[in-house]
Amino acid sequence: MASQSPNKGPNVPAHVPPECVGSFNLYKSPEMRPTPFGDPFAAVGKLHEGPSVFYSPETTRDGQGAWIVTSAEDQRTVLQDGTTFSSYRRIFSSAIGEDWPVIPLELDPPEHGKYRSMLNPLMSPKRIAALEPFVTAKAVELIEGLKARGTSAEIMTEFAFPLAVSVFLAFLGIPDDRLMEFVGWANELLHMGPAERTAAAHKILGFLDGMIAKRKTEPGEDFMTFLVQAELEGRPLNDQEIRSIAVLLFIGGLDTVATAIGLDLYYLARNPDRQQELRDNPDIMPSAVEEMLRAFPSVTPIRTATRDVELSGCPIRKGDLVSCPSMASSRDPAEFPDPETVDFNREDNRHTAFAYGPHRCLGSHLARRELIIALQEWFARIPPFRIKDGTAPITYGGFVFGVENLVLDWS
Amino acid sequence: MIVKADRDKCAGHARCWVLAPNLFELDDEGYILPGDIPIPPEQEQLAGRAVRACPERALQIVKD
Repeated sequence: MASQSPNKGPNVPAHVPPECVGSFNLYKSPEMRPTPFGDPFAAVGKLHEGPSVFYSPETTRDGQGAWIVTSAEDQRTVLQDGTTFSSYRRIFSSAIGEDWPVIPLELDPPEHGKYRSMLNPLMSPKRIAALEPFVTAKAVELIEGLKARGTSAEIMTEFAFPLAVSVFLAFLGIPDDRLMEFVGWANELLHMGPAERTAAAHKILGFLDGMIAKRKTEPGEDFMTFLVQAELEGRPLNDQEIRSIAVLLFIGGLDTVATAIGLDLYYLARNPDRQQELRDNPDIMPSAVEEMLRAFPSVTPIRTATRDVELSGCPIRKGDLVSCPSMASSRDPAEFPDPETVDFNREDNRHTAFAYGPHRCLGSHLARRELIIALQEWFARIPPFRIKDGTAPITYGGFVFGVENLVLDWS
Repeated sequence: MIVKADRDKCAGHARCWVLAPNLFELDDEGYILPGDIPIPPEQEQLAGRAVRACPERALQIVKD
């Protein structure tokens, strides 16, 4: 551990100058905590009034300090340079006291590229189109189910999670009869304390190991079958590689797409004029989804410096964590004119919801199509909607931003 | 006008391909094919939009 300086408050390493320490914290700042009718994105956007890079003590889930990078340009520098800024963090394996990377997320170049090239064709924009009929059918089934039950619903549990998770399970080749159980595991892993996290990691691994074993003897048409049959540089993947990839795709698909659906509907429910805009111009839905990805992205990539390096005047030292919140770079006024305005016709929308660099979200093309289909089918079937009287959606920051208790009323 | 594609910087966002699929071809992985892309005069505006849509700044207009 780096030594502490008494002048800068607790948990600030000695090499961090006092003027580089910021008070913002991705977990503990007031707007980042669970907040009724909150807007954590606007709070992060305000960071652009300050420096592009600053040190935030205790800003990761496990209470470590990190440099927070807010500008799009500096985030591009960090995330495009996997040699200086390593992705290896053992996020999953540390939960069970082991030491292995989830693949390819926690690998660095050049190792990363080999696995990524193997997986890319499965998730390319052209290939993803084959999944659209399934996504549409599932979205229609869920929305019609809501309508049959009444004129209000809690969107996360009754629409967003069931849709996102069933699409992903279908892709992986996992039956969706235990869907909400999987959602619970993801919630325990990503949003709860160490004990729940460890238990959830064991449950997920146990389940995936069982699936892998099954697909070796009973091949299907799915991603798990692809993994057990795949070859890398002329050899089959070993069991550890297969589970390391399966874990990533399992976790990646459980939380983020559902979160995006929820955040979009949360915004639209409070802005009836924007709902009307989408009803009047259904063709702008793809562009509107891009803009809401820019305005409400949920993920914060974190890297570890592999050498001492200066970034916007800040002395980053080998071993320091470097945090690149997508919700900061996507509201950088130097990159996006008028960043606080949600403009469904925005051009040049090179937002960072799926990060920059070689680790660009592998599932981004599937995620985009899911969001567009989910909202198109929603608007085709549900009349103007609002937050149900007497209820209060809760927003939160942290590792994955989101919203819960989102009860919409279309009576 | 020519657009230069930097395959090393391309991360497969495919925003250029979404805007102008006839100009920007992707490989089987969903990444831009390397090399120079000649742009017909009537498509220069569209190509410019596609260049500006690239989150990685992997596309560059090199000749006007």
